[in-house]
Amino acid sequence: MNRMSCEQAMRQFYAYLDHALSGERLAELNDHLKACLDCCDKLQFSRQLDGFVKSRLGDEPLPEGIEARIRKELASEASFPGNGKKE
Amino acid sequence: MTHDHQGSTTGEEPDTRRFEELALPHLKALYRLAFRLIGDATAAEDLVQETYLKAFQSFGSLRSDDSIRPWLFQILSRLATDRYRSTRREVPLEEAGDLDRFSLYNQIADEDPFPYSNRLHDDFLGQFQDDDVRRALAALPEVYRIPVVLVYTEEMSYQELAEVLGCPLGTVMSRLYRGRKTLERELWECAKRRGLVKTWNR
Repeated sequence: MNRMSCEQAMRQFYAYLDHALSGERLAELNDHLKACLDCCDKLQFSRQLDGFVKSRLGDEPLPEGIEARIRKELASEASFPGNGKKE
Repeated sequence: MTHDHQGSTTGEEPDTRRFEELALPHLKALYRLAFRLIGDATAAEDLVQETYLKAFQSFGSLRSDDSIRPWLFQILSRLATDRYRSTRREVPLEEAGDLDRFSLYNQIADEDPFPYSNRLHDDFLGQFQDDDVRRALAALPEVYRIPVVLVYTEEMSYQELAEVLGCPLGTVMSRLYRGRKTLERELWECAKRRGLVKTWNR
């Protein structure tokens, strides 16, 4: 019954890696992968690429004092509503 | 003319402490997104401050405490879209068919930029500096960049993303797919621009 094409399978790879597939869609993709080594390699590359991008994004340190500045602004807004910068 | 009110009842002091307890634990994540969207520390801090101010003013509209995270991200995303979109270099949105046909895996295999390698795809990825990857991500159209960044840096679920973006799950899925395909293409273009791969004109 399952006749998922390679193109259809590839369109699901990222959702698969995000654990966002379930039920019939997941079962169909798994069936396809069992029968298609080429797609297994491509899925493995998508996984590798995801991990690669994540690892290269790194973390941005918070600017020093940012939380205190936000608290101050909120306190000011609470005391004088509408004085803050916005729209 | 009047701004939104921060309390759900009238005549009360706004609940600053409760807001701070709920919202400030997300500061680091919000800043991370702001920085990834704008790429400048000062502008990112401004955007985060603005997000908190707006959230505080609209605190009464928060449906439940559990929704605080997607709600804050939604406010930040919308502010970023309104304020900064036109100032960035973005690759144009592509037709779905063109994107579907592009596969970085196939491109690397077909062009074979490292003819003597038995780890072709690893070697390709190993050429990039952190900044190359950040720039490739920064060039994504915003409609893709926001969900892609949230999945990569916050590991957000599709359900939560649907709340942030205010769209159905199917749209989340398609934006993440197209966003990553566009990122694949950007990485390939970056490799060509920087001479990291030699491509053969056929």
